[in-house]
Amino acid sequence: MRLETRKLLDRSFTASGVLAIVLMTSALVILLAPMFIRGSGAIFFTGTVEHRRLMMEKFERGNRPTIEAEIASARAAREPVYRMMAEFEKQLEAMPATERRKMTTQLKELKKALRSLLGPAPGEIRPMLMRDQFGQTRWDRAQVKLGRVMFREEWDYSHPERGSVKVMKPRADDFAGTALAPLFPYLSANLDKMLLPAKTVYWQFLTDESFDSHFFGGIWPELLGTFYLTVGAMLFAIPMGLIAAIYLTEYAPENTFVSFLRTCISTLAGVPSIVFGLFGLAFFINTLGVSQSKSVLVGSMTLALMILPTVIRASEEAILAVPRTFKEAALSLGAGRWHTVMTVILPAALPGILTGIVISMGRAAGETAPIIFTAAVSVGKPLALWQVFTHPTPALSWNIYNLATEHEAMDEIRHVQYGLVLVLVMLVLLLNLTAILLRARVAKRLRG
Amino acid sequence: MATGLNSSGVDARRHGSSLLLSHRARRVQRITGLLGSGFLLAVTSLSTFAVLFIFFFIARDALPFFQLQGFTQFFTSAHWYPSSATPEFGSLAIFVGSGLVTLGAALVAVPLGITAAVCLSDVLPFSTRQVVKPVIEILAAIPSVAYGFFALVVFAPLLQERGGQLLQVASWVIGAPMAILGVVVAGDLLTDRIPAGARSGARWILISVLGAVAFWGLWRLGVSLGGITISSGTNALNVSIILGIMALPTVVSVAEDAIQATGRELREGSYALGATRSETILRTILPAASSGIMAAVILGVMRAVGETMVVWMASGNAAQIPQPWYNMLQPVRTLTATIAGDMGEADQATGSSRFHVLFAMALCLLVFSFICNLVSEWGVRRTRRKVGR
Repeated sequence: MRLETRKLLDRSFTASGVLAIVLMTSALVILLAPMFIRGSGAIFFTGTVEHRRLMMEKFERGNRPTIEAEIASARAAREPVYRMMAEFEKQLEAMPATERRKMTTQLKELKKALRSLLGPAPGEIRPMLMRDQFGQTRWDRAQVKLGRVMFREEWDYSHPERGSVKVMKPRADDFAGTALAPLFPYLSANLDKMLLPAKTVYWQFLTDESFDSHFFGGIWPELLGTFYLTVGAMLFAIPMGLIAAIYLTEYAPENTFVSFLRTCISTLAGVPSIVFGLFGLAFFINTLGVSQSKSVLVGSMTLALMILPTVIRASEEAILAVPRTFKEAALSLGAGRWHTVMTVILPAALPGILTGIVISMGRAAGETAPIIFTAAVSVGKPLALWQVFTHPTPALSWNIYNLATEHEAMDEIRHVQYGLVLVLVMLVLLLNLTAILLRARVAKRLRG
Repeated sequence: MATGLNSSGVDARRHGSSLLLSHRARRVQRITGLLGSGFLLAVTSLSTFAVLFIFFFIARDALPFFQLQGFTQFFTSAHWYPSSATPEFGSLAIFVGSGLVTLGAALVAVPLGITAAVCLSDVLPFSTRQVVKPVIEILAAIPSVAYGFFALVVFAPLLQERGGQLLQVASWVIGAPMAILGVVVAGDLLTDRIPAGARSGARWILISVLGAVAFWGLWRLGVSLGGITISSGTNALNVSIILGIMALPTVVSVAEDAIQATGRELREGSYALGATRSETILRTILPAASSGIMAAVILGVMRAVGETMVVWMASGNAAQIPQPWYNMLQPVRTLTATIAGDMGEADQATGSSRFHVLFAMALCLLVFSFICNLVSEWGVRRTRRKVGR
């Protein structure tokens, strides 16, 4: 081959390598972008007067006179809507029976759509469910709900080759010529006066309990549950992992038993996370009876088992990275083996060990599969410290799954789901950042 | 000065005497030493025997299933009706689902991962590497449930609504650079024999002809992909891509370690013989690191097989064998998702086949990952031995 050809091959090889890196980086950006953009929407959003009313009624937050003035002005703006409704109901009674029946069902649908947009009509009995007591608290959701008021969904089956096609029919056509006809232009023109949107920072999203299965409120129980589970897992994993690492690096003889131990550890690292969950259920709950059913304690123990190999490996590496001379100097000064480990090797290896611990903390915080059968519930109060031995808890990771797949109205609470994802991802990334900074310090120290 | 000397002399004498321990003290010291290391060994064994416990307890709950139902139906039938009046536990479709999804993930992660690993270890300058490494670390750190959420809430609707266009764009993003590189290289190789005077002209003609053909092919491929409509966004393709991205960091970091482990000497030898960088990597480094790279692939596959949340959320959970079997656009169901999803319903009836079949699946997963682990360990060790470290 000519030299130019070989050079060309070399360059195209480099180019495909760079392409792979670029693809990988863009995958990361595509993954994280929606989480960050929509996740921050859980805290920073355009809130309506309903949000401020909710905050005042539930938490006494905000300036009461101002909010009451706002509520009054919103009510004034809404008044024509309800007046038109009342007029239409009078008209309805005068209609012939067939038409009245048709119009009654349509009016019922309209009222339902309107109630979910603006909340219960004045004079109505206070509804049981909290989600019915308030109108839309977020301006973006209010726009969607306005669409539901303005249009009616209908399915068109006239083109069999395309299956069913969704058609949006304007409700204004249904009510043309009645007293409700002016309602629709009035609504779309005056929605902002009825809901008074304003920029809102709801940082209490992190510290509020949730109301009415996450329709309102924040994620404090989940955050606390993840904290308990992670700290609990570390309480089990750190001592055991550290001792195992010390034994394997400083004491273990080179024999078949020790190499069997090492094989066991690497096998443990490869066990699928869901199997840990099953094991936790079969062993800790069904066999040992650590707690009656799911509890934070059992979840922590299961998670600890899962991250144990990571902790052992990281600690081993950190201990092995300590220069031999340190150890030799200590031994030559007459220190015993244990003394050397405790006073010389561990302090020198500490930042490296901490790096491994922090990374496995991130893993424990984010893992879902092991806690499904051992610790997680969908809805719960924040636990007090002594309840962790007996009570299950909501957790960030589990509730992301639960709200995104099993919640009765998952489309309505996307902001909460994204908020949960963002908080979890930020938590894990912060832990990893800490690890990176720690490692940079280690590198500097070992170089200097 | 004199007192100093004197006192140090005294010290030395005192120490000298204390270094010679009495028989009894020496025995005490030895026993405490033994006890100490025995304690360490005990704790170490406790944590390592956990894995034996896992095998034992999963197998103990799996055995009743095989006693009640036998092996044949479980492994050969695709009828998964665990909750009907006469329950059937044919799990073939679920095994196929796991396999299909894993294959798809490997197709994404292996080429991309190994190329990236080579690029990271041998091609990129140090400063760029410092930027790329955190990318891999972040990809590895993102919790699986966040990946699952992305797959379900962002990716699945996108696939469902404009799946064809998405596939078209993807084929261009990956195909176009490949085509350009391929055409340029092929043009150069084919005009190798032409005498130097006419070479440049001939090469340009050949490149433009080949380029036109390649881009016509890509365009046709894009159009046919663009015509595809995806009936459900939660399918094997979605999960495969996301699992592939999740397995990437494992593949990249283990493969990179293996490539780095081959050492400087091999590279320097190859360069000294006049090889270019690509020749060095392809002919010398990759063969030397092959068992380590195999280990990387196996570990990546293990990550994909054992992953629960992504497949549970976004694979569609339909226990059926896709028609034909490689049809990635149909929903599938995997072992892990079945365990996670069915335990809630089976839990009340502890002791039934419904409960134990999940443990049987877990046992299969466990055995598979155990074998994979042994093979990958062997691979890593072999690389080290081969390069003499």
